[in-house]
Amino acid sequence: MSDLELSVMAGDTDRAKPLLGRWLWNAVLPAALVALLLGFAAFDHGVLSPANLLNIAQQTSYLALFAMAQTVVILTRGFDLALGPTVSMVSVGTALAMAGATATGHDTSLVLFAGLGAGFGLGIACGLFNGVVIALLGVNPFVATLGSYNIAIGIATTLSSGRPVQGVPKLFSQIFYGGSIFGVPAAIAITVAIGIALHLVLSRTVFGRSLYIIGTNPRAAAVAGLPVKRILVATYVLCSALAALGAIMMTARTGSGEPNLGGALSLQAIAGAVVGGTSLAGGRGGVGTAVLGALFITILSNGMNLTRIDGYVQMVVLGAIVIVGVLLDRLRMERSQ
Amino acid sequence: MSTALITAGPQNSIGLRSIAGRIGLLPALLVLLVAGMSAVDPQFYGIINILNILRNASLLAIVASGQALVIVAGGFDLSVGAVVALASVVTAKTMATTAAAFPGNTALIIASGVAAGLGCGIVVGLVNGFCVAKLKVSGFVVTLGTMSATAGVGLMITNGIPVYGMPDIFVKGFGRAQAFGLPTAVHVALIVILVMVFAQRRTLFGRYVYAIGGNVDAAVVSGVSIQRHIVGTYVVSSVLAALVGILLTAQVGSGQASFGGDRMMLQSIAAAVIGGVSLRGGVGRVEIVAISALFLTILGNALNLLHVDSRLQPVFLGVIMVAAVALDELSRRRNARV
Repeated sequence: MSDLELSVMAGDTDRAKPLLGRWLWNAVLPAALVALLLGFAAFDHGVLSPANLLNIAQQTSYLALFAMAQTVVILTRGFDLALGPTVSMVSVGTALAMAGATATGHDTSLVLFAGLGAGFGLGIACGLFNGVVIALLGVNPFVATLGSYNIAIGIATTLSSGRPVQGVPKLFSQIFYGGSIFGVPAAIAITVAIGIALHLVLSRTVFGRSLYIIGTNPRAAAVAGLPVKRILVATYVLCSALAALGAIMMTARTGSGEPNLGGALSLQAIAGAVVGGTSLAGGRGGVGTAVLGALFITILSNGMNLTRIDGYVQMVVLGAIVIVGVLLDRLRMERSQ
Repeated sequence: MSTALITAGPQNSIGLRSIAGRIGLLPALLVLLVAGMSAVDPQFYGIINILNILRNASLLAIVASGQALVIVAGGFDLSVGAVVALASVVTAKTMATTAAAFPGNTALIIASGVAAGLGCGIVVGLVNGFCVAKLKVSGFVVTLGTMSATAGVGLMITNGIPVYGMPDIFVKGFGRAQAFGLPTAVHVALIVILVMVFAQRRTLFGRYVYAIGGNVDAAVVSGVSIQRHIVGTYVVSSVLAALVGILLTAQVGSGQASFGGDRMMLQSIAAAVIGGVSLRGGVGRVEIVAISALFLTILGNALNLLHVDSRLQPVFLGVIMVAAVALDELSRRRNARV
């Protein structure tokens, strides 16, 4: 499975290289992951305990979802700086809709439906805004999503008056946080299911493949007759919809709508995608890179927490890791070309 | 030139449009905003409010002019906000330490603090420039990394607690002082902008930065040393951010790791972009960016005076930013078609 993933993320360019060299370079990040886990385990045996591993998996599932969302747009040479604020806005909107529906005395299934509808509705609206501004008006993705970043923050804090929104029904949290499928916690199950689906979309559908073509060479994509603008709009909608799903899962975890939920998520998700090997130049990356990067960052911060490394030092380490990760990836690409 | 405009009817509108295009919509919007606010609220043109606006606009303009230089060369500097914080903390800490070692030697205390603060800027700028130019990592990722690292170091030094112990004269005689009726920050900003305008137009460095941002390959073929100039843009950007950190420290009277931050970084990019700096590189003038910083500051001030909910204010900034760039893009497309 992982070998397949990795060959997908490495792209076609290194087909010609000797198998061993390619395999070695592709194994750098997974090997670093294992080394990291063992290293932390040497300091604290709790790191490898089943409870902590489950904890890591659960924490990773949120970041992985956001990194996947970010990867989809990065594939087309885009960005979504507004991802974090979108998460905040969806969280607040979902909680408000459910609280409102509960207050007006609707039954539980309708309340859940209202919450999900409001959450995904807001997410998709945000994605449409980004997509239209970027694809149809031709605004640089950085500026466009920086604009919607501010707009979404404004809406999230205004709707919630800057305070957590209470009134999320217990059942909502029980399903999306406490629930489990065959013993697998809901967050992990949802992320795995979405990951598989997204992987199939990216590798097996015309839409998915055209994202890679647009990222590799937008002009060639247009000349080849791809409806580039429509695809780009759909891409940003997909990204925001995935972010909305993550926001709903996180809202279920906290049990309230949080206007600050997104915080630093935009940049964390970009870091996750990029550390995993997604190229900001577009056209390279996938579900595998997003999950690997998210795992790496989660394990690193989990291990640093357990070994009681100062939170401020952790910021420095994470900053350095992002740069080193991308540098390694660049070297790998140079080797394979 | 002007007679040609008057005599030739159809060319007249084109000429006017090109003049409007060169100066931009921004000054007109600025005048409109100032006139409108003056009519609505007399508090707006009170001397205290004006000085307040000018001081804040100056700080933003200094950071934004550095940011603009990096963007013109085709890069990004996400670390400026964190550099403001680090420089503030380091300046205050160094002054406090020197004051303990050499009590009473005010000149030495201030010089060491300012040097240490600017030094931080140089170091971060060199790291950014080195990673981008030599290691060829994308500027976005590099400065994303150094942003996190720099902010972390600033917090590590202080544990989030403000640093005191600076000489009185640094705070009262510099930070809160006024010369010719204007705060120190305004004078510093004017000098910085003048120097940057001169550098952009009259120095090889400035011209090469345009060349690199406009077309890297052409610049390489013309013999421009790409790496050195890219490092230069990042160093200038970080040093200017550090300067703002020092100015803020002097004004507030303590070094704080909460200065600058993401807000300053995002605003500096917004100011540059609204000021007509193209994210494609190669286009952008510092003086327009400074006007744009003034515009953004006045806009925030006006929204406050009009009692617009502070939580709703980011929405205005976002809409204006997207609209400004979209308009710019649409007019460029129309010109390209003609």
